[in-house]
Amino acid sequence: MDRQKTKEEVIDALHGVASEMHDKMLRGDPPTMTLPVRSKSNIGFDKKLGVYKYGKKKTVRDATSLGSARQLLRALHITEFIEGMISDGKTSTLREMYYISEGWGHGKFSNQNESNGVSEDLEIVTKCLREDFGLRPEEDGARIIGNVTFEERNRRGDWMRINCRDDVGDSGYGVPYNVESEKLRMIDQDIDFVMAIETGGMFDRLVENGFDEEARCALVHLKGQPARSTRRIMRRMSDEWNKPILVFADCDPWSFRIFASIAYGAIKTAHISEYLATKEATYLGITADDILAYDLPSDDLTKQDLNALEAELSDPRFSTGWWQEQIGLMKEIGKKAEQQSLAKYGLDFVTDTYLPEKLSAMGLSY
Amino acid sequence: MGGLGGDGERVDPAEKLASKQKQISIGEFFEKNKHFLGFDTLQRSIITAVKEAVDNSLDACEEARILPEIKVEIQRLKGDNLKLISQDNGPGIPREDIANVFGKFLLGSRFHAIRQTRGQQGIGITGVVMYSQLTAGAKTKVISKISKDSSAVFVELGIDTRRNKATKSGENREIWFDEKAGEAIPHGLRIETKMKAKYQRGRQSVFQYLRMTSIVNPHASISLVVRDRDGSIIEEGDWPRTSERLPRVVNEIKPHPHGIQTGTLQRMLKESAERKLTSFLRHNFSGVSMRAAREILTEAGLDEGRSPKRISADDVHGMIAAFGKVKLVNPPIDGCLSPIEDLLIKKGLSKAIDSRFASTITRSPKVNQGNPFQIEVGLVFGGDLSSDGPIEVLRFANRVPLMYQQGGCLLTKALEAVDWKRYGLDHPGGKGIPKGPAAVLIHLASTNVQFTSEAKEAVADNEVVFEEIRLAMLEVGRGLKGHLKKSSQRKKAKEKFELINIILPEISKKSSELLSRGEPDLAPIITKIMNAVFCEEELGWDENRGLATCSITIYNYTARARAYTILAKWPEGEGTAISENPLGGNKQARGLWAWRLDTLNPGSATTIHFGVSGLRKGEWSDAEIFYRGNGEVIGATKIDEKLLDELRKAEALVVAEAELEQPKEPISQLKERAELSEVSQTQSLNEGQTNLFEDFTTNDGFEVEE
Repeated sequence: MDRQKTKEEVIDALHGVASEMHDKMLRGDPPTMTLPVRSKSNIGFDKKLGVYKYGKKKTVRDATSLGSARQLLRALHITEFIEGMISDGKTSTLREMYYISEGWGHGKFSNQNESNGVSEDLEIVTKCLREDFGLRPEEDGARIIGNVTFEERNRRGDWMRINCRDDVGDSGYGVPYNVESEKLRMIDQDIDFVMAIETGGMFDRLVENGFDEEARCALVHLKGQPARSTRRIMRRMSDEWNKPILVFADCDPWSFRIFASIAYGAIKTAHISEYLATKEATYLGITADDILAYDLPSDDLTKQDLNALEAELSDPRFSTGWWQEQIGLMKEIGKKAEQQSLAKYGLDFVTDTYLPEKLSAMGLSY
Repeated sequence: MGGLGGDGERVDPAEKLASKQKQISIGEFFEKNKHFLGFDTLQRSIITAVKEAVDNSLDACEEARILPEIKVEIQRLKGDNLKLISQDNGPGIPREDIANVFGKFLLGSRFHAIRQTRGQQGIGITGVVMYSQLTAGAKTKVISKISKDSSAVFVELGIDTRRNKATKSGENREIWFDEKAGEAIPHGLRIETKMKAKYQRGRQSVFQYLRMTSIVNPHASISLVVRDRDGSIIEEGDWPRTSERLPRVVNEIKPHPHGIQTGTLQRMLKESAERKLTSFLRHNFSGVSMRAAREILTEAGLDEGRSPKRISADDVHGMIAAFGKVKLVNPPIDGCLSPIEDLLIKKGLSKAIDSRFASTITRSPKVNQGNPFQIEVGLVFGGDLSSDGPIEVLRFANRVPLMYQQGGCLLTKALEAVDWKRYGLDHPGGKGIPKGPAAVLIHLASTNVQFTSEAKEAVADNEVVFEEIRLAMLEVGRGLKGHLKKSSQRKKAKEKFELINIILPEISKKSSELLSRGEPDLAPIITKIMNAVFCEEELGWDENRGLATCSITIYNYTARARAYTILAKWPEGEGTAISENPLGGNKQARGLWAWRLDTLNPGSATTIHFGVSGLRKGEWSDAEIFYRGNGEVIGATKIDEKLLDELRKAEALVVAEAELEQPKEPISQLKERAELSEVSQTQSLNEGQTNLFEDFTTNDGFEVEE
């Protein structure tokens, strides 16, 4: 699957936005910008792709109110800015663009949420990714440790070969913001699966215990809600190397949502779910069952936790029997537990007992 | 005043005042009742002292018809001691009366008079002299100059509390020289005293007291300087007068039987010069005819011929009961009250508070239990006022600021009883003081203000007064609501203008540049976006010519040609005139001028400009624009022809009857009526076109097809 667009395609797509405005004005009508409705009501599960996508509802932003007119002008300024970056071969962070917009007169933004919003609008309308625009977020991507080899094109334009076990320190390989083929090539691997880990503490524990070599896997640190590039590189590892993706997270409703954004797509990025979501991803733990089976130290569910669980019960992403059962059980025992609660039985318990048992139950014994 | 001083036949106002004073002896009262009299805490004592001095000055100036200039100086001394200097340009006090005025309680020209005054009980300045003596062991230095004497009296006063008598020392006569001006002071009074007291700032401070006083006394110039021990200034204030008009002279009226209390009646009976009860009743009370006097006595079972001096306490109660049963005419209400009047409230508020909008109302006087009273309310909004927290409530009784016990005061309760949410203020739960960038002034003028306690800090509950205040609040509330609606309309219009004048051209330019195409014609787009007629007015001030200016611009952003008559409300009154008006037009009613506009083509605009003379800068802060014609004009109100018609008829009647009173706020009703009913608007529009100003209206409101 190659979704990469050429510079010309990106600029053409952006010009399409400007054309819609200009054409309307030529006809004597107020300029407009047409985009999908971006609310829950217009997000549906695409059975074919197995991910969440925007539906067919469209909204027309027209310049009959000051607020909307400003948004149109801002979209044009961003278009101009992106064109400039593309022709200069530069990229900028979303925050940098926000500061640059200070100089855009009446098209400037009053906060970064506004500028992020209009950038997302442009992504959706043009069906480009913000990587195509040369825009990147501040948050860095994940860290990877394991016997996998990538080639990354560095800032001098040279391809650098990096093995994520032999060529990196204990902090692992830092995933760049852009992991498309123009920037990152998947070269080689000698692993059986990929394990994505929610917290840094557990990631470091597994690294220290040498779990990546012992279990022949690549460890990916998610850093909470994973960045786009983290989800994208896992998708590529799944697609191109055909390796299972296992998610190891805390046992609480928010961790379930982290899993859902990896496996089915997040609402905010539903326009690109098919590039980011890995529908083959599996939830490894910690499950509500585990709390009982391993008698893990746990905390009581808060009111917000219970509300979140309730919402998940009616969320189609959690509609399978297994999830319904787990969520029901969690509500029943009224408890949640962290990954690191496994340390109750010693530092090596997670690698010596817990993970082997969980993996063998999935048919991935080593 | 020089001429007056040399005129032997005229009575000096100061002497006239002193001659009315009656003596009531309650010598040691003060020492036992300091808390009643406002000397209970060190912070409060200085406020009370300033209050007594300033109230006296204002009353004396008012009676002598002098525009007051009052200077207050406070100096911190060692320990918790303060020096207070208060000086006025009033009539002064004759030498022989000084000891009485400063040395006895319940002494004052106002004690027996039934009319609106500040002090009412005259306990005042003597308390200051006594407090100074008790706490600082100091004498109070007084300088008094009356205009008919060539020199001023300098004297130091103390008080013999047991004998209720002032003790004088070091008295002499000198020329009183104003060092700054370098000339002798023609008349005035200066008091210098020391006392144990603390100066504090904030809501309950001398500063706040004087600020509030200046608001309700726009005819007075008041200044304050507070200095620390080292001479550095801690706080200062300067409130120059904004009006040259003294409050009107109030008539004294006799008490009305419905408001009388047992003690007062007893005293009146004892002091009566009449021999018979019937004449006593007729001569000492208002509203009592011969017939009514007889009915009262019959009801009370008293013989007409009895001597008032020999009435027992039981019979006094009987008389009071009889007052309530016999039908009596109301006391005369004209002339015994001195309202501030709404324009002056506006001025007073604007001098103390920087705000965007002011709405004021002076209700007509009413009678409650035999006492005439009158309510005035002013509301200011926006500007520098803080928008978080409760609004500022400024309470006044007979022009005297009330600074304590806000919650327990009738004036506050009436304010809280209004549903302010309906008028655009935040009012959580509809309870308590509303929130927002506003201040409300409430003034109760009455011949007899009933307080909750002797300390005179809060007005006591009274249903009739409460209802009057509530009604006044509703009126200023409506004014606020109108202002807020207009502001939001103006804001929307401003946004639209920004959209078509700035953003749209930029969208056009930028998109054309990006696509390397030519720029589209924006005119048809603008018409589609706006699709309305806009009216924008701007008030200004022409410094050179002393002219208040008004520009009204009408923009036609519709696809059709339009024609309108524009009407503007302007402050027509004594001394004001439209003195610049290139477009002519004509008068429609009092304070309402109209201009017929030429046909306005799509995309075009026209401006009406006129100037009003006879106003001061800032006096005209809110213009109201009406229109006659088809469709909606954003920023203006469609005129209610029916009401305008009634208004003109009423005015014609007024002229015919040679009455001088003008109908109250006629034009503000126009707007309300216009908002009330869409149906009546269209109906009245047609009626207006056939009945009135045919030359104007036949062509009005037509639409020209493109």
